[in-house]
Amino acid sequence: MSGGSESTEDVLTVSGAVRQFQTPEGTWLRALDGIDLAIRNNEFLTLLGPSGCGKTTLLRVIAGLDDLDSGTLTLEGRPLDDVPAHRRPFNTVFQSYALFPHLSVEDNVGYGLDVAGIRPSERRRRVADGLSMVGLGDLGRRMPQQLSGGQQQRVALVRALVNNPKLLLLDEPLSALDRKLRGQMQIELKALQHKVGITFIFVTHDQEEALTMSDRIAVMNKGRIQQLATPFETYHHPANRFVAGFVGNSNLLGGRVVAADRGDLKIETEGGLTLIAGGAGFAVGDAVDVLLRPEFLSLAPVVVGDVAPTLEAQVEQAVFVGSEIHIHARTDRGLALMVLDRTAAGRGDGTADVGRVVRFHYDPSHVHVMRTGGTP
Amino acid sequence: MTAAAVRRRRNLLAGYGLLVPITVLLGTLFLVPLGIMVVYSFLEPGVYGGVSWSFYPYNYGRILGWPIGGGEEFDPVYLSIFFHSVLLALLTVALSLLICYPAAFWVSRMTGLRKNLILFLVTLPFFANLLIRIYAWLLILRPTGFFNVALQTAGLIVEPLQVIFTGTAVLIGLVYVLVPFMFLPLYASVERLDPILIQASQDLGATPLQTFRRVVLPLTLPGIVAGSIIVFIPALGNFIVPALLGGAKVMMSGNLIEQQFLKARNWPFGAAIAMLVMASVLLLVVVYVKKVARRDEQTGGVGA
Repeated sequence: MSGGSESTEDVLTVSGAVRQFQTPEGTWLRALDGIDLAIRNNEFLTLLGPSGCGKTTLLRVIAGLDDLDSGTLTLEGRPLDDVPAHRRPFNTVFQSYALFPHLSVEDNVGYGLDVAGIRPSERRRRVADGLSMVGLGDLGRRMPQQLSGGQQQRVALVRALVNNPKLLLLDEPLSALDRKLRGQMQIELKALQHKVGITFIFVTHDQEEALTMSDRIAVMNKGRIQQLATPFETYHHPANRFVAGFVGNSNLLGGRVVAADRGDLKIETEGGLTLIAGGAGFAVGDAVDVLLRPEFLSLAPVVVGDVAPTLEAQVEQAVFVGSEIHIHARTDRGLALMVLDRTAAGRGDGTADVGRVVRFHYDPSHVHVMRTGGTP
Repeated sequence: MTAAAVRRRRNLLAGYGLLVPITVLLGTLFLVPLGIMVVYSFLEPGVYGGVSWSFYPYNYGRILGWPIGGGEEFDPVYLSIFFHSVLLALLTVALSLLICYPAAFWVSRMTGLRKNLILFLVTLPFFANLLIRIYAWLLILRPTGFFNVALQTAGLIVEPLQVIFTGTAVLIGLVYVLVPFMFLPLYASVERLDPILIQASQDLGATPLQTFRRVVLPLTLPGIVAGSIIVFIPALGNFIVPALLGGAKVMMSGNLIEQQFLKARNWPFGAAIAMLVMASVLLLVVVYVKKVARRDEQTGGVGA
């Protein structure tokens, strides 16, 4: 992670950010507990985490709507901490959209240009351009409450974008939309970001959304960044147990390295399984967490070199969803396994029938080993 | 007729039925006395009180200068009392607004128990008799009262200030009595204002002043309008406050009307003054509301 380091392509850097809140019970909660983050120019960065992880606080701190207890913000090398929200060249799309109910769609979109003193003729042109960009060209005279949720969402987006901000901050903007519209907006947003060339910081608790849209994902938990990486890295090489569990479905097992030989590991896990895995930098006796994605367990044999590693378990539930079968199985010592198999789905020969004890095959290179309690 | 149409018709009838009690109540207790006053204002005053039943528009002439006749003379003092009353009422509105607007924001930011306590305290004066409360102000403001003694003790003044029995004392009294009526509607509209809109305005680059003018003020305008109207009307018609705190020097139209009805026993003239005051208040309020409504229409009529 490049926290705190200055590079020419970093737009905004956050270093040592701490923000505490007092809970109603009187105890202090660290919403941000030492955040270091460098945001690159033109990237789509997602802050991903469960509710209460500090992601929205971080966004509000960047917007200037919340202050840091300690730490600094730097915009292109200049300190930002004493700059009030209205002088920061960032704009926010709020979760509730926060459209002004007393202003028409046009006046909402033109608000930022208006207060900045942009000439009316240019303002009108930019508002019209913005609205037609998101397909709302003919709704300018409507009032916000006369629009559907999806339309309001677009108005909020354009209202922020017409000001050409250096950063566009999006606070779970899709969470109020229905599932179908959300999927559509995800693709539109990503395309829009590419088109306007503005850096997006997107806050969400939806890991699928994060994987779909982001250039990089910062997974947060308890006020700290757990991992900052591309969606691929985040999914396949999570930094720790939290990231592995939060992003995607997973079989997560605690265990200990019992044999290590030039990157080939043998691990004994809780529930008495022995797994073969690839992974450098581990020594015999190391406590580790092992991630085995459900899609990397299959009913068909996987032969790698001269080994064909397997796990044996009894099928408890098998759900056929067309292209694949979702299997919940349990080992003889009570360990639950999730399997997403595509090989049996097409055969329909009863291999995965409930109650049968089957061998699940895996490729050791697909087993991801993490040091227990590991941080980035 | 279909079953649905029958049901709709029955609901409509039930709706009208529910309106009957309030219509009867307002009709008999409000419209009938008002009608009596309208009629009286056009009758000739009797020599020993009461009226003689002949058309007599000269009560209005005495106030407005036209029509003149029947031994009545135009006296500009009545118009001057009226305009003075309007001025005092407008000042009362302005002062209450100045006090209540910031207070409404302050209270709306409070949490649970404290907020309810403040709201309770605002309505607390209603539990005590108005006369007693006004009389307390007499004690506070008189030359040997709390106000002057406190200032003298602090060394700010040497001689006691003559506040009691002046327009200032009446203004203080009116503001004191009417502040809760300004506070409650203002508070309701401020409470409804979503703080996220203020943040959105800041986020879009508006300075605090721009945010106030473009977001806060338009969205709380309905509360300002409602508060202003329900403070202005009783302020203009008030007669207890000027009677107690204004002494002989300050007379408002309310006192004038009271005087005509109770002391001079000239009901037709008192009725004529009352009609003119009522007409001008109605006119003022209608103009004000129309103006705000037009503005509101332009801005979408939110919160009205």
